Amino acid sequence: MTILKISLKWMVLLLILIFFLFPIYWLVITAFKPSQEWFTWPPTVIPHRITVENFTGGGGGFYGSLTTSIENITPYLRNSIVVALITSIISTIIAALGAYSIARFKTGGRRLISWIVSIRMLPPIASALPLYLFFKNLRILDTWWSLILIYLVFTTPFSTWVLISFFKDIPKELDEAAYVDGASMWQTFIHIVLPLSAPGLAAMATLAFILCWGEFLLALILTNSAAAQTLPVYLGRYITGWRIAWGPLAAAGIITMGPAVIFSFVAQRYLLRGLTFGAVKY
Amino acid sequence: METNTRRIAILMVLPLVVLFVALTIFPFLFMIGASFTRYNLSEWRAPEFIGLKNYIKIFQDDGVKSSVTFTILLVVIALPIEMILGGFIALFIQNLVGERIVRSALLLPMMVPAVVAGVMWKMLFNFEYGPVNYLLSLFGVQKLSWLGDIGYSRLAIIIMDIWQWTPFIFLILYAGLQTIPQDFIEAAKVDGANRWQILRNVELPMLQSLVSITLILRLIDILKLFDTIYMTTFGGPGYATHSFSFYIYKVSLSFGWDVGYGSALSLVLLAVITILTNILINRLRLWEILEV
Repeated sequence: MTILKISLKWMVLLLILIFFLFPIYWLVITAFKPSQEWFTWPPTVIPHRITVENFTGGGGGFYGSLTTSIENITPYLRNSIVVALITSIISTIIAALGAYSIARFKTGGRRLISWIVSIRMLPPIASALPLYLFFKNLRILDTWWSLILIYLVFTTPFSTWVLISFFKDIPKELDEAAYVDGASMWQTFIHIVLPLSAPGLAAMATLAFILCWGEFLLALILTNSAAAQTLPVYLGRYITGWRIAWGPLAAAGIITMGPAVIFSFVAQRYLLRGLTFGAVKY
Repeated sequence: METNTRRIAILMVLPLVVLFVALTIFPFLFMIGASFTRYNLSEWRAPEFIGLKNYIKIFQDDGVKSSVTFTILLVVIALPIEMILGGFIALFIQNLVGERIVRSALLLPMMVPAVVAGVMWKMLFNFEYGPVNYLLSLFGVQKLSWLGDIGYSRLAIIIMDIWQWTPFIFLILYAGLQTIPQDFIEAAKVDGANRWQILRNVELPMLQSLVSITLILRLIDILKLFDTIYMTTFGGPGYATHSFSFYIYKVSLSFGWDVGYGSALSLVLLAVITILTNILINRLRLWEILEV
């Protein structure tokens, strides 16, 4: 009876794990499959030969395929890194300043807090069209700055929210002691509060980076050349065409997925806290 | 408070406020204006005031009907499955060998960028060579046109959504379960409650606010669903798998450049999301973060 129960438990666990992990496994192995194995029936779950041709080129491809590798991914990778990095730095600075002011002095009160939550919930598609026209007039369409500006709107509320609760956790007495010693509010913030909240700031920068890294819709609309297009848009290009080159597609998928997954694990505690407005702390 | 400190405090929130005003209020005002005009970028003519015509069109548009239907399908099919499955896994892996490993592994789908998730499932659902059809063929099922048939393509998006978001719900409920004091559960056990009674009378009531926040967050996400649809079905066949966001994209940026009608649709979406967000703010008493 108990043996039956235990084996049933493991069966269920196995099924759950297969359902949630197999798609990722499939992407990873496809990226390392030679072109002959992209399309086979039955599909090869364990590739017969492992290759890096899909990343570096030199593979055969097949009749009618437009792409055989992702050698030309470099500019898109560069754009992704630059945009995500600059956004995460600026957004963390803006968020830290605002969050400290809100946490300690209730600046803006209930109204500002609610506004920040609403902006965090904003559907990207609703601002895409007006911003497209706006940026067109500013002549910054298809540049890094068009993406950085709009990504700031989506990352800053998230970071601000988590940092408010982070600053709240720092005892107020520390600030007050500094005031008594004659430090100004600004000096207190720079020399006392910021160093103490360094881990939180780093986590917020990381999360902002991830949010920008995977963003697709706005990048698709606001950029149209290798000068500013990011990895998700590059990934979208492979979908077109009458037969899709699975190997390079999966290879590009791995590169797009990699940093996001790795960084998420680093900052997972704060990720969940931010996504649920502090309802979950673990 | 000292006036000087007050001034610095205001200066510190200023960048935040300026950023939001410039990049959200402007688009919002623009859309309100545009929604009352006939304004199509592909027509090469000046916007023309047409009153409420764009809003009236919403009620007669088959595309809107179809995307609302699909959204409702996601809400009534995908969401309950995600909640039940997520809750089940959260309860299931408690006290199991390898709890931590399983938890980390289940985190993965949530962290994969949605575009990449779309790529994965595009391959998995492939008609001729996809592993999903292969798995079904082992059970004697004919190859199914996952991304080409109205019913199956909707099912495919639902499966993708379940795959991607069950882990999120699982994590929230799992974290919530950890916060329930063991004493409560022990007390119930002493009183002779069985597993089911503990779940219904102790655990669920304590998780109530978490469940409602999860539901609202997911509802908003379903309205915003875009990336996976773009990468797999592209809303097809026909209008079968258009989420509301995807339909707005089609109207205003992809097939037409109908700024006027697109703005009207966007404002409707914005209104719905604002209502949901307000419920969230009130339910969770989010402003209390200021008082603590």
